[in-house]
Amino acid sequence: MILCTTDAVPGRVILESIGLVRGNTVRSRHLGRDISASFKRLVGGEIEEYTKLLAESREQAIDRMVAEARARGADAIVCLRFTTCEITNGAAEFVAYGTAVKLGK
Amino acid sequence: MSASVQEPSRDELLAMAYVDGELDLAARKAFEIQLAQREDLRREVVQLQKLGLLARSMAAAEPIDHEWKRLARDPLQRTSTVVGFVALAVGATGLAGWGGWMVWQSEMPMVPKTLLAALCAGGLILFLVTLRGRLRTLPFDPYTEIER
Repeated sequence: MILCTTDAVPGRVILESIGLVRGNTVRSRHLGRDISASFKRLVGGEIEEYTKLLAESREQAIDRMVAEARARGADAIVCLRFTTCEITNGAAEFVAYGTAVKLGK
Repeated sequence: MSASVQEPSRDELLAMAYVDGELDLAARKAFEIQLAQREDLRREVVQLQKLGLLARSMAAAEPIDHEWKRLARDPLQRTSTVVGFVALAVGATGLAGWGGWMVWQSEMPMVPKTLLAALCAGGLILFLVTLRGRLRTLPFDPYTEIER
């Protein structure tokens, strides 16, 4: 499965546009990590607890999007985009979406 | 080079193809029926997903990573963290218990006391049920080892 943020896959022809595919998730860390993170907010620097939280969410959202694209017989996803927002304090919602396409040579 | 590497079984090959999205619709559906019935197969699929995620999210170590690891091994840092969390947990649990006991011993009428006790018991039960669910599903969550 080819994933790209551009409108087309360089060197390949898009034969068919299958449509929108997306994957989303909302994840959180446990209370202990939230407590550690709140102390790190006081002293500055990277909060790895939340870096990890966003990374986990990103990968899960990508996997769900790819699973949908595969189920619909796609070869690639173009115009891939990510978006994130806060549903509740200490949780990250991550949405990955794009257009599933069939490719030719 | 030793020849001790075992050939993957049919199930393992199917699991690999499933994770890589190489099964056709019928084969995928058949595999998913097996997946719903067999815990060993679910664990195999999660292990393969973890491997894929590891390969995909592999990032070069940064200097700060080594320092975080060194700090995590540092006895003072570890002990202080454990002591801090234990003190926090003991304090919070103790205060909650003491507060509950004070309310129970107070002049408050029996009805609100019972309702308050039900509220606390409900909260505790829901927390334990949620924790049980998390612990049961944790081995099947391949995303927990991603770092960044």
